[in-house]
Amino acid sequence: MSYLREVELGATFPPFASLQERFGFVPNLFRAQTLLPRTIEAEAGIANAVLLQERALSRTCKESIMLAVAAANRNTYCAAEHHQTLRSLGVPDQQLHQIVIDHHRAGLSAPDTALLDFALKLARYPAWLSGEDINVLRGHGFNDESILEAILVTALVNFLCTLSVGLGPAPDFEPPAIQRSNKTRLPDARSYVGGTCGPYLRAVELRPQNFPPFAFFLERFGSIPNLFRAQTLRPDAIEAEAGAFRNVLIPEDILSHVQKECILLVVSAANLNTYCVAAHCEMLRAMGVSMEDSDQIAVDHHQADLSEANKALLDFALKLAVRPSEFGREDIDRLQISGFTEEHVLEAVVVTALNNFINTLQMGLGTTPDVEPRRVFGPRDVHLPPAVESLTEEAEADPDAGLVARVQDGDLDAFEELVTRHSRRVYRTLVGIVGNVEEAQDAVQDTFLKAFQHIGSFQGRSKFSTWLVTIANNTGLQRLRERRHLESLDDAGPETDEEFHPRQVRAWADDPEQLCSQAERRGLVESAVMRLPPKYRVVLVLRDIEQLSGEEAAEALGLRIPALKARLLRARLMLREALSTHFASNAKRMVS
Amino acid sequence: MITCDEFMAELGNYFEGDVATEVRQQLESHVSHCQTCQVVYDSTRKTICIVTDSGSFDLPDAAAKPIKDKIMAKIRDTRIWSK
Repeated sequence: MSYLREVELGATFPPFASLQERFGFVPNLFRAQTLLPRTIEAEAGIANAVLLQERALSRTCKESIMLAVAAANRNTYCAAEHHQTLRSLGVPDQQLHQIVIDHHRAGLSAPDTALLDFALKLARYPAWLSGEDINVLRGHGFNDESILEAILVTALVNFLCTLSVGLGPAPDFEPPAIQRSNKTRLPDARSYVGGTCGPYLRAVELRPQNFPPFAFFLERFGSIPNLFRAQTLRPDAIEAEAGAFRNVLIPEDILSHVQKECILLVVSAANLNTYCVAAHCEMLRAMGVSMEDSDQIAVDHHQADLSEANKALLDFALKLAVRPSEFGREDIDRLQISGFTEEHVLEAVVVTALNNFINTLQMGLGTTPDVEPRRVFGPRDVHLPPAVESLTEEAEADPDAGLVARVQDGDLDAFEELVTRHSRRVYRTLVGIVGNVEEAQDAVQDTFLKAFQHIGSFQGRSKFSTWLVTIANNTGLQRLRERRHLESLDDAGPETDEEFHPRQVRAWADDPEQLCSQAERRGLVESAVMRLPPKYRVVLVLRDIEQLSGEEAAEALGLRIPALKARLLRARLMLREALSTHFASNAKRMVS
Repeated sequence: MITCDEFMAELGNYFEGDVATEVRQQLESHVSHCQTCQVVYDSTRKTICIVTDSGSFDLPDAAAKPIKDKIMAKIRDTRIWSK
């Protein structure tokens, strides 16, 4: 059962017959698309070329990539699928569990670990991927064929994840518990690449005269896009991609070409994919849409000259692609209320998913645009759908929800488990506020007692851990006030009235962590953090030590994001001053 | 060319990956010309890494256990009284 009506295709439908023969069953993800058999054919073609053929990487290796990325995407359906496959390939349960949670502890070889690092970066932060990441893999002994296959597999799992979110099939197997933390912050802005600095991989010459997919692209686009030229080490993959274009993007019996191109454009823009945005603007231009209109659709389609129904279609695609955890049956209903049929919905899901495949592939290959881009995307360039429903997302993803429900039913053992899970986090928060180890330990008790007292009224509108940190924050503040501490955490005064001028301007050693042991570093950090004023200390502890996201820390402290950011920078700069004497390089340079 | 003060004003957003392309380019251009800001940027980035990896303020098991026991004792105690 899935969100859409299913029809009987019969055992002779070739992709189903082949799946049945290979796996002994037809996965629900494909059954969910029986309204449009041509989409199933397209997907089966790609999956067959990329995953099922034994080429450069082993099946186990490819399935491990798929499991790790599905878990990082918090995609239960795909995680269950690849978990089961790896089991049947003989991978022990304990190792699978670690691949889901943290592949660095899964006992994998260094090259396999590096390969999963790469795939996860490509899947989650593709615009930050660069030639350096490719070189890391080469350093581990992977050749260009293997790297291309890893890119294709990562693109495929993103494709399947988006499909399964949009179609809502029941998992075919018992899903593993997905506890992978998604707290990973965006990589350093300095390393933002934008995905067009390649091509990173070797390519060979294929000619349209004797390679039909290139003849097809040439006829369709007037030239062969760089995206396909960069994959010539794998002609079978290019052939499958051409098949997907033929089966998904070219037919006009359901959605029109312009509608499909608009979906591809908005989702590529949301994915910050400069290459694909340039390509789809060009396609729309050929269909009579002006460049200005395309630019507007890419940046904010709500301000574009589109019908309300088409705006709803693009809202749907955008939410599915970039906020999958908020996506649900109500989004399908909303689209149908706007006048779309189930076939329209299905095709919109498949086009969006295919777009995520192409975007991931392109960023992995780093191909330069085929036409001069009108806009080069950076991290802040696009309007994403409002995150008003993020609270639901958190609640759904809250790993403590089950324990909280048991406590609310009177189960004290469940509360004890919550204390075990969270006492360290609560303690760190309190150290950050009160600045004293003994007092923080004391305040941990107060915090949990208050949490227990009020847990009956906790409704899951935020994560339990965030709620707990809020209580810890209030408990710590109360203690500070009792001490009549002059500096208050909740002072709402301007953050930047007094400018902070760095005083230590000696360069640091290239690798400062080599200058002292882990224990010494910890001691230095702890003592420097303790000397920070409380309002800076707590922000630094929550963000850099506890590693909460900016949103989580702001919510827990009751601060607005700009205030939080200003305090965090100040705290980091003050800490930098304090640590400078220990980590500066020997080459001292005095600056007036 | 932006000034050092302007650089410092955007540095927090820069670390968070939250600056427009144009601003990012201005910041990077500034850093490539201004050694002081280069040092501040580089050492702050290293500070963040050191702090993040320091494992600071971990509550040792030896301290966590008695705290948990006290909490649970108080809760069970209160439960008995409130019945």
